[in-house]
Amino acid sequence: MGRSWGTLAEFDAFVADGGIVEPIDDMPDEYRQAVFRFIELHANSELMGGLTERDWIPRAPGLRRKMAVLAKTQDEIGHAHLLYMVAADLGMKTRTEMLEDLFAGRGRFHNVFHYQAVTWADQVAIAYLVDAGALISQQAVFKQCSYGPYRRILRRIIAEEGFHMRHGEEMLLTFAEGTTTQRRMFAEALDRWWWPTLHMFGPPSKPDDVLARWRIKSERNEDLRDKFVQKYATLLDSYGFTPPDPELRRDPDTGRWVTGEIDWEPLKATLSNLGPDSARRVADAATHWADSRWVREALESVAAGVAA
Amino acid sequence: MTTGMIPTASDVVDVLLGVDDPEYPSVSIVDLGLVEAVRAGEDGHVEVDLIPTFLGCPALEFIATDVRRALQHAGFLQPVVRFVDRPVWTTSRITAAGRRQLASEFTVAVRVGRSAPPCPHCGTIALAETSLFGSMRCRSINECQACGERVEIVR
Repeated sequence: MGRSWGTLAEFDAFVADGGIVEPIDDMPDEYRQAVFRFIELHANSELMGGLTERDWIPRAPGLRRKMAVLAKTQDEIGHAHLLYMVAADLGMKTRTEMLEDLFAGRGRFHNVFHYQAVTWADQVAIAYLVDAGALISQQAVFKQCSYGPYRRILRRIIAEEGFHMRHGEEMLLTFAEGTTTQRRMFAEALDRWWWPTLHMFGPPSKPDDVLARWRIKSERNEDLRDKFVQKYATLLDSYGFTPPDPELRRDPDTGRWVTGEIDWEPLKATLSNLGPDSARRVADAATHWADSRWVREALESVAAGVAA
Repeated sequence: MTTGMIPTASDVVDVLLGVDDPEYPSVSIVDLGLVEAVRAGEDGHVEVDLIPTFLGCPALEFIATDVRRALQHAGFLQPVVRFVDRPVWTTSRITAAGRRQLASEFTVAVRVGRSAPPCPHCGTIALAETSLFGSMRCRSINECQACGERVEIVR
């Protein structure tokens, strides 16, 4: 039997006290909606990320990298698959409705998948920076998250993302210790991916944020972004790479990195699916969905035959 | 390893117990059944034979590197670590401790032979397969008919 709470205040107290909410519980509608939207965004992002990764399977340099890209694609699509199920279990939208919204351009997915990966060095920058940033966010959510099924799946996702990060570090080393051309390629990719990675943590938090109120995501966006900047500005500096921020500097008193003013307009554009590569990405995903229709129909007809 | 003593195979296994699988951090490669043979010579030379869970596994080189590093750190200066392709890995090689950790930490169940494993979340034997593949090719996605949990099974 699920639990129920007489008033919203009682539910607030339960969550504030460290309580974990399960799908059978009679949770408040506002909570259900907030959790659902958060997981749907994550699921969409895993799917769009997996499709992007997939594009690089034939182009990966060498067998080892190809195996890594294949495994990463399987991971991302598998994560999306699990997350869509957990989201659908909340009863707001079916899995098919979520997918159809996404392919019709009505769904949301993370800003970093609204840009084009131009060369293999972009894939290196994505694996080294974007994957690391995503991991920082996911670890923060996992530590505190009040929704049980999501938290348990995040444990597995984080373990697998950690493995992607090792690939990213290895790829970065190849480029950092590589030829002049390789170093130039990575420097150019860094120019393209630095700001989108900082945007990925989200705009500055608002005090009345429902995600924080119900411990869906407790840490503030700016704190997570800062954690990333402190670590990666140092690492990039040690490899002799400079992010495209002329004001980025180390405070002589605190020793901490301070970034220049962040322009939020590019993030806003991606939120309405109006980023530089949004239209192509959405259309591409919709084509995959249409092209694989015969597989779904074949599976459905087999299932119907078994049932008959 | 105690300085001055001749290392034994069990000294080597002790070190390997501290090497985790890259995709299941906190579960050791020993508990996952990846360690097939360990040899320690009187001259301090050690060799470790590992078997991959499947041949296309992209983590093999990371695992070999981690094993080499751990052994060197423990004082075995030039360990030889290699992957062998016999015997073939199966889930029956995962130890009871490994299965417990996969269940409690990762909500992942392990199928050994034909018998259905219990749901790692509620303990009931009621997992129904909803998808042949999860985020790894060696895992299926299942729904627990008792508690509703979405569980992956290693097979």
